[in-house]
Amino acid sequence: MLRQPLSRALTLSSPVRAAPLAARPYAAQAPPPPEKVEVFIDDKPVHVLPGTTILQAAALVGVEIPRFCYHERLAVAGNCRMCLVEIERSPKPAAACAMPVMKGMRVKTNSDLTKKAREGVMEFLLVNHPLDCPICDQGGECDLQDQSMAFGSDRSRFTDIHFSGKRAVEDKDVGPLIKTIMTRCIHCTRCIRFASEVAGVDDFGTTGRGSDMQVGTYVEKMFLSELSGNIIDLCPVGALTSKPYSFAARPWETRRIDSVDVLDPLGSNIVIATRTNEVLRILPRTNEEINEEWLSDKSRFACDGLKRQRLVTPMMTDSRGNLTPVEWEDAMVAAARALRDCPPGKLLAVAGDLADAESLVALKDLVNRLGSDSTCTEQYFPLDGAGIDLRSSYLCNTKIANVEDADFVLLIGTNTRFEAPLLNARIRKAFIHKDTDVALIGPKVDLTYEYIHVGDSASAVKDLATGSSSHEVMKRLEAAKRPVVILGADQLKTPEGAAILAYTQELALRLQDKLEDKKWKVLNVLQRTASQVAALDIGYQPGVGAALQAGPQVVYLLGADSGVVSRDQLPKGATVIYQGHHGDAGAAIADIVLPGAAYTEKRATYVNAEGRAQQTLVAVTPPGKAREDWKIIRALSEVVGQRLPYDTLDEVRDRLSEISPALVTYGDVQDNNYFAQARSLAQSLQKPVSGKVDVQLKKLEDFFMTDPISRASPTMAKCVQAVIKQKSSKY
Amino acid sequence: MQAIKALGATAPSTLLSVVKKGGFAPIVDQIRQTHLPAPKPNETRPYSPFQDASNMAEMAVARLDDLLNWGRKGSIWPMTFGLACCAVEMMHIAAPRYDMDRYGVVFRASPRQSDVMIVAGTLTNKMAPALRKVYDQMPDPRWVISMGSCANGGGYYHYSYSVVRGCDRIVPVDIYVPGCPPTAEALLYGVLQLQKKVKRMKTLQVWYRK
Amino acid sequence: MSLGKIFALDKVATFFNIIRQNGGIRASLYKLYRQDELKDGTLVGEDKYGNKYFENPRFFYGRNRWVEYNDKAYLNYDGSQVPAEWFGWLHYKTDLPPHKDPSRPKYKWMADFTENMSGTTGQYVPYSTTRAKVEPWVPKSKSS
Repeated sequence: MLRQPLSRALTLSSPVRAAPLAARPYAAQAPPPPEKVEVFIDDKPVHVLPGTTILQAAALVGVEIPRFCYHERLAVAGNCRMCLVEIERSPKPAAACAMPVMKGMRVKTNSDLTKKAREGVMEFLLVNHPLDCPICDQGGECDLQDQSMAFGSDRSRFTDIHFSGKRAVEDKDVGPLIKTIMTRCIHCTRCIRFASEVAGVDDFGTTGRGSDMQVGTYVEKMFLSELSGNIIDLCPVGALTSKPYSFAARPWETRRIDSVDVLDPLGSNIVIATRTNEVLRILPRTNEEINEEWLSDKSRFACDGLKRQRLVTPMMTDSRGNLTPVEWEDAMVAAARALRDCPPGKLLAVAGDLADAESLVALKDLVNRLGSDSTCTEQYFPLDGAGIDLRSSYLCNTKIANVEDADFVLLIGTNTRFEAPLLNARIRKAFIHKDTDVALIGPKVDLTYEYIHVGDSASAVKDLATGSSSHEVMKRLEAAKRPVVILGADQLKTPEGAAILAYTQELALRLQDKLEDKKWKVLNVLQRTASQVAALDIGYQPGVGAALQAGPQVVYLLGADSGVVSRDQLPKGATVIYQGHHGDAGAAIADIVLPGAAYTEKRATYVNAEGRAQQTLVAVTPPGKAREDWKIIRALSEVVGQRLPYDTLDEVRDRLSEISPALVTYGDVQDNNYFAQARSLAQSLQKPVSGKVDVQLKKLEDFFMTDPISRASPTMAKCVQAVIKQKSSKY
Repeated sequence: MQAIKALGATAPSTLLSVVKKGGFAPIVDQIRQTHLPAPKPNETRPYSPFQDASNMAEMAVARLDDLLNWGRKGSIWPMTFGLACCAVEMMHIAAPRYDMDRYGVVFRASPRQSDVMIVAGTLTNKMAPALRKVYDQMPDPRWVISMGSCANGGGYYHYSYSVVRGCDRIVPVDIYVPGCPPTAEALLYGVLQLQKKVKRMKTLQVWYRK
Repeated sequence: MSLGKIFALDKVATFFNIIRQNGGIRASLYKLYRQDELKDGTLVGEDKYGNKYFENPRFFYGRNRWVEYNDKAYLNYDGSQVPAEWFGWLHYKTDLPPHKDPSRPKYKWMADFTENMSGTTGQYVPYSTTRAKVEPWVPKSKSS
């Protein structure tokens, strides 16, 4: 099977080009690198591996060669010609991005010939590029603008005063996220390469040749990908721009704040662009360990949900049962009264998907001080066996970046494409470049790459774990040097969840024990939400089932919006206090609503699925009377009369580090090594299983709206509509 | 006629919804809670705004507050903060024709001796830190009168790159005096309005309620 | 020049005249306390709020017309309590007081005069017609 797109397969594929990989420990096991060759870039000597391109060699000595089509994470295309450089004793300039170095090669990146070549290329590009920079959204962050300033000619030879020669191309409609102005396109084909290599949606291509060349989908078609927003960043000109952000702001007007995304469990690093206290757009921030430089569409475009359906003022139910706005003082006193009058065992706190570690710890401390022990998260995790006592049982131990070094990936009951799009992109990267094979136990879903389908019955897991399976995957797993097993946390909700987890642990450990590489971890449990790992670290009980059976009198929902707590399950007269930032399922059933801050509005700690603590920073202030979450709980504790012993964020974080130092080691992820203990504790749970393995997010339309922020986002709603419409169309 | 009636019936509620939707809902709430009821033209107006004491102790504290406020409103000493042309009108109220001294209003040159700051004129971005610093140096209780369009909301220079769009972005303002520049009379009226506001202060009553 | 003027006896006479006109020593002291000023003059008229308007050309221009606010207002009088009709006369825009001026327009649609309501619940609160940056959540009404 031909995994790589043709362009990729034909161009050189050197180990060096995957430069980020080289830094990682597993790369050391690759065969010893061949001898280095010496080349001279502007007379500066540099030793590089054979197969390195001139452009990369130049980058090593700090010489930046201008480029449009070249991108280090995509295949080399070599069609923009901007990177032409002069090579000594060569009759004509060569494209630096596609030209491998040769021994003793002398490259001149600043010679007259090079300059003239660049100027000429620039002139050719601009002949067919419209002069609409003043109304172009890319203005200010446009590669073409910058490079024409730096390398272009200072005068024009364009004398077509009758406006007959400039190319004009009809705009394409590729969905509600990407605006296309195809006249601006310079045919770098970055978007085409991204779509076919990274996103795995081979829809883009070129048609026509010469000045009739067009980039598009040939038939009008939506770009059906969960990573589509990245082609906006990739586009060096303004041909592909963001539709929700169109004509909103110029890049120099915005304030950029580094932060972390919380809409999926990976905790992708983001940059939030704000102006006048408004989140305008979200861009990815490069982090090789997590998201490289990509970002999923939900994380990128759901930011307009931060401006809709917000809770801006405290609310309480009036005599007729309607929520009405009140002052903080009244809401606090009412909430405190409810908490104080509650019998100790009848208080229940439920943490939702987007809760940060600070508010989680504050809420737990408060509830414990009030004499109750029931603090829960919405997502379930089996407590039998090792349960949540061993951190390795609920984390992605392999780590996201290492997945691309794996040689066999087994997915159990998870659709990584929609549960963690960037993890899926990693698996796809391994699939394409490393000949990694993937197997899936669960329903047949489109993962954007081919996989071995093992069926969707849970007994398949058991058979693999006990070694009694006769499936081809069994042999492949046994033979794999670096296997990865990823278990979707969704499977653990079912009554058989404990058994599935036990079998998965058994399988993973059995594989791990046989590996030569003792550092390699096999077991991964992919959580569904950004808050779950931190909540389990802090000591929340996963799942609300048992706690609801006890008939709580007061329920404190900390952003719990997934609807697992409903009025029907609570005894009559129970008080529901909701603290969160969006009016959703939780606020709808609440008696007292305390408005909190969303992830763009607070400095807060989130722990991603690998167990990596990261912090968000304040990009905008919370709207109206909303406040930071841990401060609300701290203030409430004082009104209740059980003052929590921390007044500043640093003190809360001290408390966090008391519970687990891993919660405050930002950016780092610590290894967890108690697999054997977890396995032995889970031994008794290996019961026969008969159910089916199912996943929640099967299709692209399920992906867009999964949490209160994206449910409130009009852009995400448009995406769902567009995807459904596209699916019903005949293309 | 029916249509007009219907319009009349719906107009207030839409207006209210507009008010509530905008950023002014908190202001409306606050007014309901902290302000005196609106006076009717021909009703008797007693000296003290605190007339709803329920027992003797509250009554006594209210009278003490009255005494304190009487003292405070009778000697409002402004810190001059003349920034532009409004400052010329501000000088006029000190001169004999308007004679602010008859209200006990005397300009002081030091923030540490003054009660009220009259921000007279365009507040530029460059001046803003100085304004805040001076405000911070004033002893409590302190008030701010924002004089003229520029200090109220940027005024003529609202769209300038170098002007603060209203000095209430820097300091909390008690009295806004409109005008470009306001006449000395208008500023004097503003000082009288401030006196009224001082008269409503509940320093001791708040302390007592605690 | 008469002897009385030389010894400023006319000033003394005026003083007693003022006290008499203001209703005796007690009433004069009260008026002095309330208004910081004691003047004699002819009553030109009274508006519907009970404010009395006086004129005395003996005082120099600018001080020869004044208002004595309704006693009910006590010390809480305010320049904005002078209604629009009298404002013109008080500020020398016209010499004809409103009740002697037949040419003043009187239409049904003219709004009633109100004093400055700042600092009370009746005060004007500006509202914005621009859309708020953040749309708040409006809870569903359970019963209406």
